[in-house]
Amino acid sequence: MRVNSYLYGFMSVALFVAIIFGAKSMGIWSTSGKVTSSGEKIEATGASVEEIKGWMLLGDVAKAYNVPVAEIAAAFDLPADVAPDKAIKDLESAKFSVTGLRTWLSQRQAK
Amino acid sequence: MASTAAVIKHRPKGLSALYSVHNVRHLIQFAFFAFIAYLAVRAIVVGESGTTVVSSPEAYCPFGGFETLYKFITTGGKTINHTHLSNVVLFVATIASALVFRSSFCGWICPFGTLQEGIMAFSAWLQRRIPFLKKGLKALQTHAKPLARLDGWLRYLKYVVLAWIVLATISAGVMVFRGYDPYATLLTITEASLGPGLIILLVVVVSSFFVERPWCRYACPLGAINGIVSQASPFRLERNESLCMGCSICDKACPVNLPVATSKKITSPECIGCLECVEVCPRGGALEMKVGLPFGK
Repeated sequence: MRVNSYLYGFMSVALFVAIIFGAKSMGIWSTSGKVTSSGEKIEATGASVEEIKGWMLLGDVAKAYNVPVAEIAAAFDLPADVAPDKAIKDLESAKFSVTGLRTWLSQRQAK
Repeated sequence: MASTAAVIKHRPKGLSALYSVHNVRHLIQFAFFAFIAYLAVRAIVVGESGTTVVSSPEAYCPFGGFETLYKFITTGGKTINHTHLSNVVLFVATIASALVFRSSFCGWICPFGTLQEGIMAFSAWLQRRIPFLKKGLKALQTHAKPLARLDGWLRYLKYVVLAWIVLATISAGVMVFRGYDPYATLLTITEASLGPGLIILLVVVVSSFFVERPWCRYACPLGAINGIVSQASPFRLERNESLCMGCSICDKACPVNLPVATSKKITSPECIGCLECVEVCPRGGALEMKVGLPFGK
């Protein structure tokens, strides 16, 4: 059966868009690791080091895990006056990384 | 042999000429392209550090959904770095689209395909205005004719790329392709350093001046998936041999260089469902999109 070209194009795009809006209306949609699919903010809670992400602020992570920023700075050779409102990924260097911070916090918690 | 009773398509003039499948498709492509460009610019301007919630343009890449699918299924919903729930939804939408409407995502939506088509259109525009450029490119095409034999074999490269990505991502648990992906590099161009991704992006951009949709033809892993899935689609192009004039304008119009003029049915995994061949066909009814049973039956 012949299909009108405009109809073919319209239906293919409509199906694509309909699935997206359908997922959104069912709450199955998230475009940022900073919020859950229901829109709740994701924050460091101190529950598990796996929750720590590069975009999180150093000060927020330090507060959640009850660690002074100065102690983290000393452990990773960061400047003593490192600003707590800097994102972890913006402070990354050969000695400091998200993975390294997770490992260090995990070992510190185990002590 | 063409029937004398066949109808030659009337080409509208004036403003009515603007209303064509070709222009409607480009409008839709541009809309998706503009949306992704807006997200990319916003992410650069606002930045992603701290608690400010900004959608990453990478969250709108369907292939990211494929790359994270294994972890998503095996961990009950977690995704690998740089991917989100949206990537999985977009991948499902792309596959559903391919299952029903062939690789229409490639032909009507994909921003990277749009970029390549735009570069080719720009190349054609330049050639019309700079005669020596047109002559130069024609001479280059003549000298490169022996390489055209490789075209068929090179099309299989995208399946090799896909297989590598599947195996390497599952084993490493991270997006191994991200460092090579020209689309991801383009979206994060301000962070790009001279690595494989940037080199591949530059190769795609330059080769788009000479070849239509080079990334789509030879290397796109999402195109490979779409092509495989599209084999189940009930839609296909059919050429009516009794009405066909044999002018081969359809072959010239096809952006992925399929042999439309000598095929009875186009069910190739390479077909992106753009309908350019149908649009340019001068004889009504000679080339049409039809729907039948799945798997092109």
